[in-house]
Amino acid sequence: MRQGFRQSMAWLHTWSGLVVGWVLFAVFVTGTATYYRTEITDWMRPELRTGATFDAGRAADLGADYLKAKAPDAVGWFIGLPQPDKPVIEVHWWKDLAGPFHHALLDPATGAPTTARATHGGDFLYRFHFELNLPPLWGRWIVGICAMILLVSLVSGIITHRRIFADFFTFRRNRSHQRGWLDAHNVTGVLALPFHLMIAYTGIVTFALMYMPWGVTAAYKGDEIRFYVEAQLMPEVRAPAGKPGGLVSLAPLVAQAQGRVSETLEHVAVHNPGDAAATIVAIFEEPHGLAHLHPQIAFDGASGAELGATAIAKPATQISASFVGLHEAHFAGPALKALFFLCGVMGAATIATGLVLWTVARLPKPAERPGLGYRLVRALNVGSVAGLPVGLAAYFLANRLLPLGIEGRADLEVRVFFGAWACIAVAALLRPHLAAWREAFGLASLLFLAVPAVSALTTGHHPFDGEARFLGFDAAMLATGLLLAVAAYQAGRDRAPRRGEAAEPLPGPRPAAHRPSAALPPTALPPKRAASGAEEVRRRA
Amino acid sequence: MGRPHEHRGFSYRAGVAGRVVLAVGGGYGLAALLTALLSLTLPLTRAEAVAAATLPSFAVMVGAVVFVFAARSLGRAALGLGALCLLLGGGLWLVQGQA
Amino acid sequence: MTPLVLTLNLTLSFAALAALALSLDRHHRDAFLTRAPRARARTLRLAGWAGILASLAVAVAFEGWNFGPVQWIGALTGAALLVVVLLSYRPRWLRPAALAALPLALVALPFALRG
Repeated sequence: MRQGFRQSMAWLHTWSGLVVGWVLFAVFVTGTATYYRTEITDWMRPELRTGATFDAGRAADLGADYLKAKAPDAVGWFIGLPQPDKPVIEVHWWKDLAGPFHHALLDPATGAPTTARATHGGDFLYRFHFELNLPPLWGRWIVGICAMILLVSLVSGIITHRRIFADFFTFRRNRSHQRGWLDAHNVTGVLALPFHLMIAYTGIVTFALMYMPWGVTAAYKGDEIRFYVEAQLMPEVRAPAGKPGGLVSLAPLVAQAQGRVSETLEHVAVHNPGDAAATIVAIFEEPHGLAHLHPQIAFDGASGAELGATAIAKPATQISASFVGLHEAHFAGPALKALFFLCGVMGAATIATGLVLWTVARLPKPAERPGLGYRLVRALNVGSVAGLPVGLAAYFLANRLLPLGIEGRADLEVRVFFGAWACIAVAALLRPHLAAWREAFGLASLLFLAVPAVSALTTGHHPFDGEARFLGFDAAMLATGLLLAVAAYQAGRDRAPRRGEAAEPLPGPRPAAHRPSAALPPTALPPKRAASGAEEVRRRA
Repeated sequence: MGRPHEHRGFSYRAGVAGRVVLAVGGGYGLAALLTALLSLTLPLTRAEAVAAATLPSFAVMVGAVVFVFAARSLGRAALGLGALCLLLGGGLWLVQGQA
Repeated sequence: MTPLVLTLNLTLSFAALAALALSLDRHHRDAFLTRAPRARARTLRLAGWAGILASLAVAVAFEGWNFGPVQWIGALTGAALLVVVLLSYRPRWLRPAALAALPLALVALPFALRG
């Protein structure tokens, strides 16, 4: 902690950023990938063909038939109807609200379990993004706390960085090592600052009532369901009668519901399906708009009579829902979604450059042996920033290479992801630092570049087969692979710690302090950069 | 400030730890009290009041954290935050007593 | 329609941000080897802010007050990144690129209007 407001904020920015940087990097990368969750899932289940339309009523009945046979005593069924971009019936059921939640994918033509390969697909990345593959409660709290610290880090970073406008476009890659990293951190952070603030805040708001339940505690005596009903977020659901009862066919109700609401019907939920007071709820896609509000209609499970529906939400609820909607960006068309994706990548880059900057700014003098903490941070940087891409590529490759019939295949893919990631994290501790960066990025690059080839060899789908079904995915893999190759090359070429740099008179590791570039003497420039540095000085003259 | 803080000694570390604890506990407490109080007092329907009170609560906590780390001393930060919490807590107690 | 409006937003933001960047001495030097003369800097700055406002107007006019600002900020971020990349790797291309972006915006406009 330092004296002075800006100094304390610089301290806060540095340390709050460091402690959550590794987790947040993974959260940003998987969250950014989640913008293309359906495309990823489509690629990971090549057996299923997208594009067809389905009879929602028949699909709902097929789902209910499966669940009647499988879990007649469940307290809840949740039937995801097939859509053109997701050609399966996805059913969930649970016998206890606390879980476990069971799950199956059904063929929309037959209602039998799908023959497509078992995989968690893009849903794994989506869930990892906010649960880190931990038990949901733990994961959501950890990610929420990290997001909160991210907000603190963003605010203190803005206060620290007083030359936001003057340095808005500044990326002095030809100058010293540390200034290059500082500029890269500032540019990626500042240019996408509205996105960073938005995504951190809206992410927390997504689970607002979990993190901040005290409004509901005070006004509703903790009855969260009552709040949801009154806010028009869900229709009234009846308590079970305790007597067994029959369940009507879902198809007529689906047709009736579709006649009332023009949005796509996404889900049919059945509460207490075996009970005389069973409730069927039709859940629609959110209407085109920012707000993440799903219209819902409830029916009596025994008679099929309508019980109620959600009304238009009031302003405060609308605004809260718009926060969630902004986070998920379901409203975005392809071009806007690409911009969101770009912003997400810039967020990950801000975190990664910040982490590297921490170590660059604390580079020990050549004769000094780096301390344990310093070496640990460096190794964790490699493990998280370069290890995660290796894990992701391994996850995609596992999807193509693991035998189709093996037991627990979907979970095995996830284990490959974590296994590959862990290997890099361990290697980062054992290898010399620069070699670790170079090798991890190099490996990640090779793996990503291999994905389209392996996919073509194992599935027969390739960009030149006349259909080019996975052209977008293949292109994304190649682009990521090439980007990582550049990173590996740069890591090998540029990162050697040089005496000149350690001695460079930068006052602090943080965006805070440096004065408007009192032109550095050419001798302070790294030797390899001397030529371009000389040009820089000439330009300034 | 490139060097680690080994030389800064125990009181410095205790000060930092104290601020972290105050920022987390006090910041969250302040946000929670304000959310509860506004949920009961905003002139909106019950659900709207809860939604309107919960949405900005995280910004309140961020503000409190920044305040704790910017304050000249830990004591001042604790005093400021404590006074605010006491005020809000008192308000909440009054409002709930009426209900 | 939305992709066209987004093209319009991107080209306008790019030209506007390029003008703002060139109004700063440091970047003017990168692109033209000289400081920006006072009057020119002021013109560039004015044009830059006008372009940013025009981009907002376009976004809101076509996409309304809920999506418009989102698209506006998204386009500004993308365009700013492009300006920074050009400035640090090919500073001399910035002016021609910005000048080329304006007619592109003019070409996109009637299509956006019709769509």
